[in-house]
Amino acid sequence: MIASTLLVVILAQSATPDQWTMPAKDYSATRYSALAQINASNVRRLRATWSFSTGVLAGHEGQPLVVNQTMYVVTPYPNVLYAFDLTQEGYPLRWKYRPNVDAVAIGMACCDVVNRGAFFADGKIVYNLLDGHTVAIDAATGKQVWNTQVADIRQGESTPMAPLVVRDRVIVGTAGGEYGVRGWVKGLDLATGRILWTAYNAGPDAEVLARPETFKPFYDTGPSLGEKTWPPDGWKHGGAPVWGWLSYDPALDLFYYGTGNPAPYNAEQRPGDNKWATSVLARRPADGALVWAYQFTPADNWDYDSVQEMILADLKVKGRTRKVLVHFDKNGFAYTIDRATGEVLVAEPYVVVNWAKRVDLKTGRPEVDPAKLTGASRGSVKDICPTLEGGKNQQPAAYSPRTGLFYVPTNNMCMDYQTTPTTYIVGTPFIGLNAPYKPGPGGNLGALIAWNAAAGKQVWAIREKYPVWSGALATAGGLVFYGTLDGWFKAVDAKTGSALWKFKVGSGVVGNPITFTGPDGKQHLAVYAGIGGDWALLAGDVRSDDPADVRPPLSVMPDIARHTSLGGIVWLFAL
Amino acid sequence: MAVRVVAAAPLLALVVTSAQQPPPPSVRYEQHVFAGGNPPPAGTLENPLAGDKRAAADGEKLFSAFNCDGCHALGAVGGQGPSLADGRWRYGGADGAIFQSIYYGRPRGMPAFGGVLPPEAIWRLVTYLQTLTPATDPATVSW
Repeated sequence: MIASTLLVVILAQSATPDQWTMPAKDYSATRYSALAQINASNVRRLRATWSFSTGVLAGHEGQPLVVNQTMYVVTPYPNVLYAFDLTQEGYPLRWKYRPNVDAVAIGMACCDVVNRGAFFADGKIVYNLLDGHTVAIDAATGKQVWNTQVADIRQGESTPMAPLVVRDRVIVGTAGGEYGVRGWVKGLDLATGRILWTAYNAGPDAEVLARPETFKPFYDTGPSLGEKTWPPDGWKHGGAPVWGWLSYDPALDLFYYGTGNPAPYNAEQRPGDNKWATSVLARRPADGALVWAYQFTPADNWDYDSVQEMILADLKVKGRTRKVLVHFDKNGFAYTIDRATGEVLVAEPYVVVNWAKRVDLKTGRPEVDPAKLTGASRGSVKDICPTLEGGKNQQPAAYSPRTGLFYVPTNNMCMDYQTTPTTYIVGTPFIGLNAPYKPGPGGNLGALIAWNAAAGKQVWAIREKYPVWSGALATAGGLVFYGTLDGWFKAVDAKTGSALWKFKVGSGVVGNPITFTGPDGKQHLAVYAGIGGDWALLAGDVRSDDPADVRPPLSVMPDIARHTSLGGIVWLFAL
Repeated sequence: MAVRVVAAAPLLALVVTSAQQPPPPSVRYEQHVFAGGNPPPAGTLENPLAGDKRAAADGEKLFSAFNCDGCHALGAVGGQGPSLADGRWRYGGADGAIFQSIYYGRPRGMPAFGGVLPPEAIWRLVTYLQTLTPATDPATVSW
């Protein structure tokens, strides 16, 4: 009874179009807003109304929250939390919270010191500090309510991901696939921060929380798959981290998340499927029990993490309405999966893919091209598409129930891949890789695409010179917003992809746009500028903050620094 | 045990446990400002293998075997950690400064390797890094 009442409250909260209370707008991770004041006919009049330097130069992934006339912004390390008063002219701060974050974290974050955002629940702003702490901050006063160490930074565990809150559970995961961590998710008590359960992504069933009475994977059978699909003890430093996005289905009471790469990159050191790395897992929030799991890339040979968002939608697939999750994997395939069972309904490439010919829907397994298998004994394996950056990296797609389309930021790059044998040394990287990139077919390095997930078909594409590293936002105004690495924030027509508006925001965009209604009754848009989030993006002279660090440019985009440099800025736009 | 051998790495033969090793002497950072113009009395560390080509080649292997390239990238051109090949040094480029960066670590994420690598091996790494030649004009990028 209490649970169902809470559920109604939560649903009502997330259904409010005027606010933005969780990272992906709603539990379904649609990044769709019902606001329509800004639309295709007036978006040309959109103008910048406000900006704020965060004082931090690292990659500004993630997105603000807007709750109760206040905008909350979490910066990359050192993870300052700003609370802007939207009722006052100039939006001055109500307060700011400056945690004491261990600088050691800078060396344990593989891919820039990013933070992917906060979650509002029960009057608290809940987010992760990079050094392995989860904090809850009173949204009204900025006072810390609790601070829990969830990860061990000295073992290579770090926490850039945004938590998910379901009822009284805060769910967080660890990064560290490049440090040989053993990936997990944990469930914390929202009131106290106490850790109530820990679920590993690999290892014995008891620690994966895969109980025979509740764990029913669609394709796989047998006990302790998280242990037996590895060499002895391989799972103990096998990666399978959680650094992406979580979603939740209240009706099924399941939350979904993807896991990252198995470690190390040299697949010959870890013969087997390496479950449940590069997988989607469905668990119960109350106790973490695993209900089903599906591995996108068995025996990953290419660093194809699967941490990208799982967008929940009801789609008519092959004539039948199905409750699905839609996932755009790093491996280049877009998956439409029955989210109750884990059955793959559609799996089609959404970018150029050559490591596998197709995904067999009967077995759920990809048909791998043996010529593209990698491993230390194989030397440099040439021309693999997509790169380890993925057909898409963490930058989240959006889904508009109005158009029925998914709007997906993508990369168009291929790579050579050479691994070397690597020794696990605590506190150092566990990688062993040289993988130069090259442009994919067509020469453009990225595109924003519209995707029909029921059919597994691209509807339109906007080619971009550089990889598209920002998230997407879809609105009831018939618009899609996204940003580019060369620093443009753009609006396009959701049906056709026609360019409608753009504005140069001062640094490359790797954050995710949001929209809300301000105290003035107007629809506003917010987005971060601030390139970073991956070392490849910071090659060359993009990074200018350290006189003792001058780097050669990245071969695939030697001129990116001509268009952008580091710098974190929060932007607001309105008509 | 801090090092767990997953793959065979022959260079681990160079490694002995640090317990038997005397710590390096305290050193002065020559690039620091000396208050009153007076350098503090302290020793300096000099690379006993400076210019030794075989030591540099060993150092390059150690650079991969001990996962230095995981952060600083192949060729030490910079990744998550800064470039060590640009002729510029955040914590000083003198023999002793580079040695101490590796031995004791640095606060912005550089692990301390003095517990898994003996001074002999660290000097080989220093020798390797000192052979890296910066690009001719790293200060200017033009299009």
